[in-house]
Amino acid sequence: MDEEILQDFLVEATELLDQLNEQLVDLENAPDDVNLLNTIFRGFHTVKGGAGFLGVSPLVEVCHRAENVFDKIRNQDVAYDAEVADVILRAFDQISRIVNELNDGVRDFDEIDHLLLSELDAIVKGGSQEASFEPVLSEASGPVVSLSLPEGVDPDGEISDDEFEALLNQRDELIEGGKLSQTEVKLQLPEGVDPDGEISDDEFEALLNQRDQLAGADVKAVPEARLQLPSGVDPDGEISDDEFEALLNQRDQLLGGESNAKVPDAEPVLKAAKSAVVAKKATPPPSSPANSKAAGESTVRVDTRHLDAIMNLVGELVLVRNRLLTLRSAEASLEDISNAVGNLDHVTTDLQASVMKTRMQPVKKVFGRFPRVVRDLARKLGKDIDLELVGEETDLDKGLVEALADPLVHLVRNSVDHGIEMPSVREEAGKPKTGRIVLAAEQEGDHILLSITDDGKGMDPDLLRRKAVEKGMMDEASANQLDDKQAFMLIMGAGFSTAEQVSDLSGRGVGMDVVKNMITKLNGSIDIDSALGQGTRIRIRVPLTLAILPTLMVSFGRDSYAIPLTSVQEIFDYDANKTNTIDGQTMVRLRKKSLPLFFLTEWLRPGCTDEQRKGDKIVIVSIGNQRVGLVVEQVNGQEEVVIKPLGVMLQNIQGYAGATITGNGNIALILDLPGLIERFK
Amino acid sequence: MMNQISSIRMSENDDEGFSSVTVRCVLFQLDSEVYGINVKKVREVLRVGQIREVPGASRNVIGVINVRGVIVTVVDGRGVYNLPAKKTDDDSRIVIIEIDDDTSVGLMVDRVIEVKDIPESCVDLMAENREGRSAYIQGVAHYQDNVIVLVDTDVMFSNAR
Repeated sequence: MDEEILQDFLVEATELLDQLNEQLVDLENAPDDVNLLNTIFRGFHTVKGGAGFLGVSPLVEVCHRAENVFDKIRNQDVAYDAEVADVILRAFDQISRIVNELNDGVRDFDEIDHLLLSELDAIVKGGSQEASFEPVLSEASGPVVSLSLPEGVDPDGEISDDEFEALLNQRDELIEGGKLSQTEVKLQLPEGVDPDGEISDDEFEALLNQRDQLAGADVKAVPEARLQLPSGVDPDGEISDDEFEALLNQRDQLLGGESNAKVPDAEPVLKAAKSAVVAKKATPPPSSPANSKAAGESTVRVDTRHLDAIMNLVGELVLVRNRLLTLRSAEASLEDISNAVGNLDHVTTDLQASVMKTRMQPVKKVFGRFPRVVRDLARKLGKDIDLELVGEETDLDKGLVEALADPLVHLVRNSVDHGIEMPSVREEAGKPKTGRIVLAAEQEGDHILLSITDDGKGMDPDLLRRKAVEKGMMDEASANQLDDKQAFMLIMGAGFSTAEQVSDLSGRGVGMDVVKNMITKLNGSIDIDSALGQGTRIRIRVPLTLAILPTLMVSFGRDSYAIPLTSVQEIFDYDANKTNTIDGQTMVRLRKKSLPLFFLTEWLRPGCTDEQRKGDKIVIVSIGNQRVGLVVEQVNGQEEVVIKPLGVMLQNIQGYAGATITGNGNIALILDLPGLIERFK
Repeated sequence: MMNQISSIRMSENDDEGFSSVTVRCVLFQLDSEVYGINVKKVREVLRVGQIREVPGASRNVIGVINVRGVIVTVVDGRGVYNLPAKKTDDDSRIVIIEIDDDTSVGLMVDRVIEVKDIPESCVDLMAENREGRSAYIQGVAHYQDNVIVLVDTDVMFSNAR
């Protein structure tokens, strides 16, 4: 297998599959959309073509059958209803799985899900009752060859579905047992086609594989094809795509087990075509399997315009450097230097933005999977749900796109499982039977705002408070002090589940705290709104990019620390008169509220004395849903920092998100506030 | 354990006058003893610049330094071998040791002496699983009246990967 072509194919196939995943669900909602149908058809066809070229026969098999089904749908012989969709989606999953395996370096595929294939065939057959294949079959002038089929199968008699299935299985076993190897070798020879030999599934698959290569090539060795090919096919002439397609379909119908199909009649068709194929076969030397794992997730497609912009800026950067070099050697005036530095500032800022852009991907990459997730879940639960996607074109950092996928799946599943009620319940409540979930993304300054809104049953803050007390997470008094929003946030706690019954979907009480941790790790925040009986909205705010973090630089002594700016709310002077100690905890009064106050110096440099706190600053930060004050010696201002991983042996220390190198070349530690509070509380 | 010794080279003109299998080592000093690290494990040797302390790090970690944009942890060699602490001075060096392609770690030593080929025949391998200090010692070389402790960096930083 040519690895380069394979990689190209994988990129293309992955993109197509992403689209198909969404389109297939769309089609179920709009079965009459001819354009959509054609797009899907083309999608399967393209994957099949590529797979055939590369010789990934299982992929060809599945795609081909799926294509047949869509052909029937296109001819309105079959309706794309939920049952058909189930089979098609399974076929799609099978295709995705194979593509993923290819991506993982698997190069040998032997098992095909025969059940799936026959189900696909069954759809084609079921929808084609009016269409007759008699001409094809009657044209066959008796058994041309007598096949050494297993005993019990009369070559002239009729064959039932079951018998045929058994036949296929036996054949597979024979092939596996190597008993057919000699025959196969014969068949591989260009001219030496043995008309008495058997044709195996594998051999036939080779035929499919070569379809693309065949198209346009002259086919001479089709002696028997005359007998069974539909009229109009010149055995000595070139075989067109369409003709070949017809041939494939014939074979599928025959294999599908038409009760009046005579197997021996069918075989010569296949063999003839096969001999033609084999004659044309130019098998590239097989490359060693799994010799290269697809780059897959580690590559990005970039618009060349972005690259041009970057190239341009790098050119500018070189100019600025040259200017500075000249200024160094000459007796430069301060103004000249200042100009050059100002120029440098602009160029680097633009360059940074441009490089960032290459990492941006539309949020569609994550959203694309949800129509399918919701569809499958809703069907499983017997619910009726419409999913609306808003703002799919919003760009965000590639790393974020990947990191957000799991949390969003959790949240959407929750909405489907817990949020949306059963159709009957909804009707009783006077709501439309079909539930509605809106998944939206929008850019908000340097943040991305994601929201999941459902019109389901909403959450009962009182129930949540009671649960919290029951589970011993807090006492009744403090539970009652929580406002509704804080009560909703309780569901983000570990081990907190309101589901009476644990299903395999959700209710174990592990999902939401994973979501929260993940979002916190991304320096994002979560906010829940809910109205009982009307629905729930969960909003997630994450920074646009992961690599660069806007921070507030604070310091004491020589040490500087960076606090992620997203959590900083306000800064004011420390005044000992405005603090109280309640139950051993120092609190600061801020607009009639008391917030816990922590001394960063004491935590990080134990043993500092009280006098030093003159002129200290209090930085109010929000951590999750609580606000606390951090006392620092000095606030140095805002700085955008590049996050670097802390060195080895330090990554397990709670409280640091990484380190960064500041403007003067020193190292500043980036604080991870939730971890820090955890460590010192 | 063996790979440091087995990654050997033939030395043509050995100090002792005969050709033998040698290990090229960076020799350095901690307290009064001489230690050696296979030169293949050493990326570079740096003078001690500004070290940023990391509150909360384990006792042997002095802090982190900026090596051309990469944050590298600096481990105190004296601490590793339970030697009394000492202030850094002009002789102090940080030996940057490669753990794997992407990770390296700095080892603070009192003084870097030289790079030397040590005949393998001079090396007594340390038995494994011995108590205490031997955890980080691969073997001891008796060479030209010196006793050189060969450091097992793989074990020393095995938890760092």
